[in-house]
Amino acid sequence: MMRDDPIRRLPMLLSALLALALSVVPLPTAVDALRPDFLALVVFYWSIEAPRAGGLGLAFFGGLALDVTQGMVLGQHALALTLMAAWATNLRLRLRVFSMLSQSLTIFAMLTGYQFVLFWVDGATGNPVVAYSRWLAPVIGGLLWPLVAGILKRSRGR
Amino acid sequence: MVAFRNNDASGRTTGLLLRCVLYSLLALGLIILDKRYAHLVQIRRVLSVAAYPVQLAVASPFEGWDWFRENVSSRESLRADKARLEAELRLANFRLQRYEALEAESQRLRALRDNTVGVTDRFIIGNIMDLDMDAFRERVLVDKGARDGVFMGQAVLDAGGVFGQVARVEELTSEVILVSDAAHAIPVQVNRNGLRTIAQGTGDTSRLKLPYLSTSADVVVGDLLVTSGLGGGFPAGYPVGTVSEVKRDPAQSLADVEVRPAAALDRSRELMFVWLRPDAPVAPPKAAPATTLPAAAPKTAAAAPATPPAASKSAATKSAATTPPAPAQTGAPKK
Repeated sequence: MMRDDPIRRLPMLLSALLALALSVVPLPTAVDALRPDFLALVVFYWSIEAPRAGGLGLAFFGGLALDVTQGMVLGQHALALTLMAAWATNLRLRLRVFSMLSQSLTIFAMLTGYQFVLFWVDGATGNPVVAYSRWLAPVIGGLLWPLVAGILKRSRGR
Repeated sequence: MVAFRNNDASGRTTGLLLRCVLYSLLALGLIILDKRYAHLVQIRRVLSVAAYPVQLAVASPFEGWDWFRENVSSRESLRADKARLEAELRLANFRLQRYEALEAESQRLRALRDNTVGVTDRFIIGNIMDLDMDAFRERVLVDKGARDGVFMGQAVLDAGGVFGQVARVEELTSEVILVSDAAHAIPVQVNRNGLRTIAQGTGDTSRLKLPYLSTSADVVVGDLLVTSGLGGGFPAGYPVGTVSEVKRDPAQSLADVEVRPAAALDRSRELMFVWLRPDAPVAPPKAAPATTLPAAAPKTAAAAPATPPAASKSAATKSAATTPPAPAQTGAPKK
């Protein structure tokens, strides 16, 4: 009961802002395609640990911000993040007791779903991207999950 | 996804499904509005101004580092740079000597043909912001926007040649789509013989392709491609690239031609936004008459009489943002 407290929104917002910044930091072209979806990881974390602090709202508006900074169709990342954040919120009780490995695997599945929604919207709006490297980002994201979760846990001061 | 209403200890996340559906519908609505009706230009503008501080905060350390490196560069390298720049300037001035006279002459001859193509009027310089956009699209963010008069579809050049065009204008920034983006196409002309076609991006900054040239088209490795000025988006006569490979398969009707872009697409930092001179018609108002001056564009007139200018104009206008339509004005083969 104590874990769902909605009180501390500041670390949530700050971490989302940082993730947004990380998603536009210039990287060499070779590794650019491998950039993990930082904002998705952060949104998943808060959806799992503090869903009542507004995980879905964070997902929607964070996604909108991502659409603007990435120059994509408005609503694309918002849709993908909202759907996957809802999934993460729904699974949160199980996820909290999972081992790190199972958590990472689940997060990997969610990130893949996230990419799939993006992929689908890309296709539906007439800008299909056929690069296979797009599906590598979820792998990197899954591998990074323990690190991201650890850092965010510290940020809550627990 | 099983039941969304989890009766867990907190018991308060009921309505998750409802909120999820609401937000998703909202997002879908945004996608449709943005894509189909372009109603969201104003909203996006406001949002992008809000995002600007974040973008600036990310970009400035990198720009600061560049500035730092520039300021501590040694006397030796400065002298070397100076010598190189002087040599380049000398060469450029040498080439420029006859430029004014030639341009005037060209305009006069074109006026005789009633065929003045777009001429640049003025330009501003913009800097590419040190930010990564979507990894799978060839786009950059530039620090000039609607406030500076940048407009949708505006031609963008760099020191080497045509860089791309403006794909989206925000208040303070604009998004430039590179000529190498897979969704970009630009009307071009072979400088040697005036053969007109369309150059398409490939998604790779180091090459473009000419998909609409027949196997018998007169194009060889090393040919310089320049903008044809048709379609009105781009000023005429700016280098787009050089032909790097021509594959002719006799079994195919179209040749496979690759082009190396003239602009330094992956290295340029400074871009030029170009305005066309307002009094110059952007494309030939009517087809070049048969009595055209032979010296002006001998083979163009011969190869593509009557219809092509109009056809390629519409083609080029459409091709501004998306892929071009049919290979309409591929330019008749000639030997």
